[in-house]
Amino acid sequence: MNFLALVPIAFPMALAVGMHFVEFKNESYKRAYLLGGVFLNFIFAMMVIFVANPEMHIFKINDFMEIYFKVDGMSKLFITMTSILWIFTTAYSFDYMHHEGKEQKFFTYFLVTYGVIVGISLAGNIFTFYIFYEFLTLSTFPLVIHTGTKEALASGKKYLIYSFSGATLVLLGMILLFSVTGTLDFVPGGILEGVAINNRVTAAYVILFLGFSVKAAMVPFHSWLPAAMVAPTPVSSLLHAVAVVKSGIFALIRITFYLFGAEAVNAMHVRGYLSILVALTILMGSFVALHQENLKKRLAYSTISQLGYIMLGILLLNEDGLTGALLHLINHAVIKITLFFCVGIIMLRTGYKTIGEIRGIGKKMPITMGCFSIASISLIGIPPTNGFVSKWFLAMGGLQENRAIFVVILLVSAILTAAYLMPIVITAFFPGEMGKELENSEPPLMMLIPVVVLTGITVAFGLFPNFILHFIQGISRSLIG
Amino acid sequence: MYNSYPLIIILVLFISAFAIPLFKSIKMARIIGISAAGISLVLSILTLIGVKANGAYYFRVGHFDAPWGIEFHIGIIEGLMGVLFMTVSMAVLWFSIYSIDHDLSKKKVPLFYTLVNLLVGSLLGIVFSDDLFNCFVFIEISSIASCGIVVVKDKKENIKAALKYLILSSLGSGLVLMGIALVYSLTGHLNMAHIHEALVSIYPEHSRNMLIAIGLFTVGLGVKSAMFPLHTWLPDAHTYAPASSSALLSALVLKAYVILYIKIIHRVFGMSIVGDLPVLNIVLLLGAVGMIAGSVLAILQKNLKRMVAYSSVAQMGYVFFGIGLGTTMGLAAAIFQIFNHAFTKSALFLSAGSILEKTGKKNISDLKGIGKEMPFTMAIFTIGGMSLVGIPLLSGFNSKWNFAVAVIEAHRVELLAVVLISSLLNALYYFPVIINGYFGEESLEGKVYRNTERPLKELLPIIVLVLGVIYFGVSGGGLLSLIEAGIPALN
Repeated sequence: MNFLALVPIAFPMALAVGMHFVEFKNESYKRAYLLGGVFLNFIFAMMVIFVANPEMHIFKINDFMEIYFKVDGMSKLFITMTSILWIFTTAYSFDYMHHEGKEQKFFTYFLVTYGVIVGISLAGNIFTFYIFYEFLTLSTFPLVIHTGTKEALASGKKYLIYSFSGATLVLLGMILLFSVTGTLDFVPGGILEGVAINNRVTAAYVILFLGFSVKAAMVPFHSWLPAAMVAPTPVSSLLHAVAVVKSGIFALIRITFYLFGAEAVNAMHVRGYLSILVALTILMGSFVALHQENLKKRLAYSTISQLGYIMLGILLLNEDGLTGALLHLINHAVIKITLFFCVGIIMLRTGYKTIGEIRGIGKKMPITMGCFSIASISLIGIPPTNGFVSKWFLAMGGLQENRAIFVVILLVSAILTAAYLMPIVITAFFPGEMGKELENSEPPLMMLIPVVVLTGITVAFGLFPNFILHFIQGISRSLIG
Repeated sequence: MYNSYPLIIILVLFISAFAIPLFKSIKMARIIGISAAGISLVLSILTLIGVKANGAYYFRVGHFDAPWGIEFHIGIIEGLMGVLFMTVSMAVLWFSIYSIDHDLSKKKVPLFYTLVNLLVGSLLGIVFSDDLFNCFVFIEISSIASCGIVVVKDKKENIKAALKYLILSSLGSGLVLMGIALVYSLTGHLNMAHIHEALVSIYPEHSRNMLIAIGLFTVGLGVKSAMFPLHTWLPDAHTYAPASSSALLSALVLKAYVILYIKIIHRVFGMSIVGDLPVLNIVLLLGAVGMIAGSVLAILQKNLKRMVAYSSVAQMGYVFFGIGLGTTMGLAAAIFQIFNHAFTKSALFLSAGSILEKTGKKNISDLKGIGKEMPFTMAIFTIGGMSLVGIPLLSGFNSKWNFAVAVIEAHRVELLAVVLISSLLNALYYFPVIINGYFGEESLEGKVYRNTERPLKELLPIIVLVLGVIYFGVSGGGLLSLIEAGIPALN
């Protein structure tokens, strides 16, 4: 037996234990420990998925409860994305959390969550996935309520209630599915071979979809996400634009293409109803974002809308749609984390939280706001940034299904995206009157470098999408076809 | 060689119980009480190993044959229960070394050990015995002893709670006795196997009488094992009793009566008769209602121990739910739940009792920030709570999964909703305690780290119980297959 896959899961947790108990002599030791540890784990993860490529059965409680890890294309994609973003977030968090306080607690749970996310990516069956999915809720909860204020606790409670209700639905769906198939392993193309599509299978799919879509912030289960914006910015950016919501999306891809299979889902005739919810998610997220004065809340609603794109791509069930969905999974993660980092810098350096206050800030922080602008343009989907590429594929997928309505929705939403992001850029750079005198300008380098590098990645993905595109097309071809 | 061990276990416990008052020192009481329990634990493990290897057997007490003499029937289930009961009571007795002095006056401490050994001995008697009247005798002993460990703490509310418990419990015993009398008048037998033979042959003409008899057993044992809505005595008794007593009452006392009920359904009447009658459906319904209502009542509680006590009502609901399904898988799930609840709830009661003892705070609202003052005790409480909520890799999750599988196998998919809603409701009352204990700026302010924490040494017995919770969560498959292997011997 080969226990390699456990290394990138257990190592961050061991780091977390160290973080909890060790008193660091000075700040730079702690930074070296954290950054070094996270980077080391990135290397471990890369070695596990690209070199060792293990498939291992850890232990079996009984037929259905089996802890089982496997590496496939999807887990490579997800693990690479989260690991790289984790390194950036770690670097960014040092100064931010120094200001916010209770760093030790923050980094402890931050590292635990890293291990949990790797577990989610490597899970080889839905039971293992479910275990880490539950742990994800538990390990991110302390991060959400980090500030410990009444408001934070209320949001945390909301987060828990939504997450556990979703997880309960997932459990129900798992049980129903297991009663039909007798296995819960992730297999490309699904495990339903030779199983008639009856009401129970359909119910299992719908229940699983709804259950996981809670974390993916689908309307009407989305309201925990804006509420969770009370968390410190590194938490919002990493957990609520990347790790938590994306593991919801990741789960939807797993169940749709690895448990049920595109053909079976197509045969169920429930896609129509689910896509109504998804279309609603896209449009409602955008419309509500328009009205948000608070910058972080505006970004949160934007996330909801963008996640809708990805879910739409999944539900199209064709190759281009899935390619678009996977591309957007990556692109949105990179873009949204950049946007959040920029907003976090503004909040840290000036204390401003709303769009009205940031008038003229671009003059003082040209690099930060420049990166914000590029990321905004990318999210709207203007070439040559990466957002354009993923939306192109999503639109192609929609046309293949002869559903022009989806293309219309995408376009309307793109306009709305411009409508809620561009005002921020415009107020920052083109003040009607001169802005207030700001004392602080650009943040320390440790915060600025991640933002700049991530913006570079955004542009690079837009100019040279082929490398990642081929990889993703390989995955979608293996799942549909 | 192991054949006579069950009898020896009961004798050791009883004799030690009566030996304790002869010495007037607390130290001797502890030595005798705990060493008797230790011997019994070893013997029960040996019995289980023997039964596992060689199958179920009858043991004739005093070498008289069945209609005249009393028989024990020991199968895997009985063996498992023996080990479970002795393990939990060992852990509780171990814990009581550090804790019971705070609750009781010095004079009462030896009495506590007498009562505990009497109680555990009589509960094992109920589990092992194959003779209905013999069971009744043990029921009476256990009723008195369990009221005793409530009232041994000489407070006003304890006396009140014990009286309530005594009255309702005696009512239950009375109903059971009437049931036994009815069965005896129908068949002329008290031995379970003999009754069963006779009942099957006279079933067609006496189905009404049998319905009444089963009804009497259901209500009588239902009162004693807190089947909703017959649970009204439980919250008072479990709340006011000393922590060690609460743990025993919820982990073991409730369970012995359920085992007897299972034996009455499966051994005395047999599924061929019970399946014809509407009883199991009613048990299923009451179990389902109890799963929901117990949790709803728990959510409404302000007192921590009372909340944990109401949670027992919900957890016992699961057991009756499993019995009510009437399938082998349902029964196996119910017995697995007995294990899960025994370990989890005793850990919860002991940790909740520790918090009460160290801080003097009863109410949940006063316990904000307790996670900083008693981090380890609260961690134990957290694991217990999460097990009951159904977080994977803890025994509660396995238990719920078993119920889900049983429900699907019985073709009653709609009942899945009950199982899942009930586990969600569990989250609604355990999580607030945990969250307010560990998190929140306001709650943690002014609290000193490990201010009122017990020494780790004193927490060890609870840690042992929690390890059981984790063990059954991680490798519950072995226990479940063992239970499934033991079920045929019940019939």
